[in-house]
Amino acid sequence: MSGYKDIALRESSFRPGSTLCPGCMESIALQNVGRVSDNGRKTIFSIGTSCAEVSSLAFPNVVAWGRGDASPDDFAKSFSIIHNVFESAPTLAEAARDVSDILADHGAIDRPIQVIAASGDGGALAIGLRSLLHTIYRQSRITMVVLVNEIFANTGFQYSPATTPFAETSTTPVGEAQAGNPRLPLDYIHLCIAAGAGMVAQVSPAHGKLFVKTIEKALACDTTAVVFVPAPCISGWKFDDGETVHLAELGAQCGAYPAFVWERGKGGAVKDCAREADDRPRLEEFLGLQRRFHHLVQKDPASGQFVARPGREPDVERMRSWTQSNVERLFRLAELP
Amino acid sequence: MKEPIATAAPMPHHATPSGDLYPDAVRLERVREAHRALYTERETITADGNAAAALATLQMWRCVLYAGFPITPSTKWMETVAAHIAKQVGGKKRVKLMEAEHAVADYLVGAAAACRDLVFPTATSSVGLDHMTETTRSLGASGLGNVLLIDVYRATANFPLCIEGDPSDTLAHRDDGFIQIACRGKQQIYDTVLQAPCLGMHHDVLTPTMPGYYGIKDSHRNARLIVEPDAEVHAFQDRWIQPCPLPGLVNGDTAFGTCVTSRHFQGFKVSQKRRMERVLHWLPQIGADFERQFGRPGLAFFDTTGFPDDGAVDLAIVTMGPDFGTFEAMREQYAAKSGLRVAGVAMRLLTPFPRDAVRKRLERAKAVVVVNQAHHHGRGHLTLDVADALADLAVMPRIISVFAGLGGADVSQATWERMLDHGRAALGGTTVPPWAIFHEGRQL
Repeated sequence: MSGYKDIALRESSFRPGSTLCPGCMESIALQNVGRVSDNGRKTIFSIGTSCAEVSSLAFPNVVAWGRGDASPDDFAKSFSIIHNVFESAPTLAEAARDVSDILADHGAIDRPIQVIAASGDGGALAIGLRSLLHTIYRQSRITMVVLVNEIFANTGFQYSPATTPFAETSTTPVGEAQAGNPRLPLDYIHLCIAAGAGMVAQVSPAHGKLFVKTIEKALACDTTAVVFVPAPCISGWKFDDGETVHLAELGAQCGAYPAFVWERGKGGAVKDCAREADDRPRLEEFLGLQRRFHHLVQKDPASGQFVARPGREPDVERMRSWTQSNVERLFRLAELP
Repeated sequence: MKEPIATAAPMPHHATPSGDLYPDAVRLERVREAHRALYTERETITADGNAAAALATLQMWRCVLYAGFPITPSTKWMETVAAHIAKQVGGKKRVKLMEAEHAVADYLVGAAAACRDLVFPTATSSVGLDHMTETTRSLGASGLGNVLLIDVYRATANFPLCIEGDPSDTLAHRDDGFIQIACRGKQQIYDTVLQAPCLGMHHDVLTPTMPGYYGIKDSHRNARLIVEPDAEVHAFQDRWIQPCPLPGLVNGDTAFGTCVTSRHFQGFKVSQKRRMERVLHWLPQIGADFERQFGRPGLAFFDTTGFPDDGAVDLAIVTMGPDFGTFEAMREQYAAKSGLRVAGVAMRLLTPFPRDAVRKRLERAKAVVVVNQAHHHGRGHLTLDVADALADLAVMPRIISVFAGLGGADVSQATWERMLDHGRAALGGTTVPPWAIFHEGRQL
């Protein structure tokens, strides 16, 4: 394993020039993934249609990917990227992996190649769930990064299967008859473990060292490694500028998306999130920073804390109950061998 | 598998319009050397169409990875490939079984982009091809001429479901951007599959190919097939297939599938159309070279029967597929009985449609009966193309549009006679409807 400082000083294949929103967690995550993957291996990157794709792989805008300033003589810095449709990222990566492996098996290539795929949660868990699970099931040696902003941000912030309960999205609006998203999120971590992944993690760059270490482990995994990256979306979650990393950390600590790393054969652990609710930050503080939950909570002028809006106490309690079950679920998953 | 070693040794490279290319990154000769010949000398075997197509791909050293998903009537292509690969202890070719046709298409994108010098084949049919559509259209525009998508024709749609072969699937995909070549008979299937990558991977073309043949009629019925020795197949293909001048994912720094503004989209589409049009230049040359080497007709725009040297005929039929054989068998008898000069064209190249060649062939026909075998809301896909080809003539032949063989039904001799009578009536001045459907000797 490389040192954090060593990784921080590497070049990233995610270059300046993307048009992602200022304050987008996806750009922070991709920059970090790019640095970790600057490890002496050529990189092939696949990406499904998503915010990250349309904002970084646009022409005539700058394509925000590449080998950086390194001399093209250095094949270890060689970088290629491919985009096809929303759901395609794992399949494209699997194909590139297979071709690389079959060429190596023939003795036709003699330099190592690593393959990384990236999707949004819409691409990976809605339209692309089948693709993701079957790539895992076939034990493809790729690293899959799923940027989970809990919405189809690219198409205008619609509900996705990862949307938090009660969240307001453009297709689960808040009205007198409905308080935002009525559904529980898909248990995608458990699905990936059940499908046969070699490693499944949920961690954002808010946990900096853990994030880069997890990506590094994922790149070394013998089968499919899936890293879900909670990605607060400044436009879709509607929070103030400068709160991205804080919100990512707070959401993990309060149990909305706890940091979690699991490796097949080794088990896993929930990180930086207490099992007992009383030992975690108040859920209302996490909700209160985002206007997608402002139908549930408001700031109490007296205490300065966010509290349930009058009449919404049962909804906040349901949310608290879901959060607790979410934390318990991950602690139980961590015990899987 | 042993992981290659990381090294900082410089790698030769040069710039291309699509990024840097590292020609030494992939030593293709290793792949060629590892190929195990299926045939070392010319043999005559018995095979159905799916087996003929499968054998052709198995003989190519550039085919090492076979992705697929079963769908009737193309399934046996995959089974044949799998059976041969399973027998080769220590062989390096691999079968990749995907979870759906759509995944196969995505997989082809990734694989073909990864190494543009290998050929990535699959076979599908009907709704399988429909299921791939989202990505076949990406492929068609991709420049990945190393994708070989074999379409075993079958009626599309499941209301009602019909597993027999009419070409409505391939004709519904005219705009996917593939070079579409229709075959009839096992030999033509085998020969066409061997030639298709030579066309698709030609540097002027760089467009994926979709050879196709009729499900059941050709896919499932056995006939004699001459197979060539692998060494001869390689010699032929190596003459035509040169290393791709553009980088792939493995041997380049490049980006596929960027998001472009409408202004730049125009340029991509102009390039795509121009590459497709160059097929009309190269296809006959590849076909002629094939014939020189193997002594059988190679790729052609169409097959013909009954045209005199000056091309002047009373009735010309235009169709595609194996039912043309029935027409060939009864043509002379019908001509003698009717006193008409009767000839026929069986289309081979569907996309791009060889307008000029079709016009030249039909310009001296008095009437053209276009026999469509696939559902269409109007006068028929083939009719529209033929009408377009003839539109510029000073004196345009009368075009009569008919449908027959829908759902893969046999077009019997009686049906051919009835359709020709229909054309003859039109030729004689009788008003005929814009289109008519024929089956078992009757107009429906």
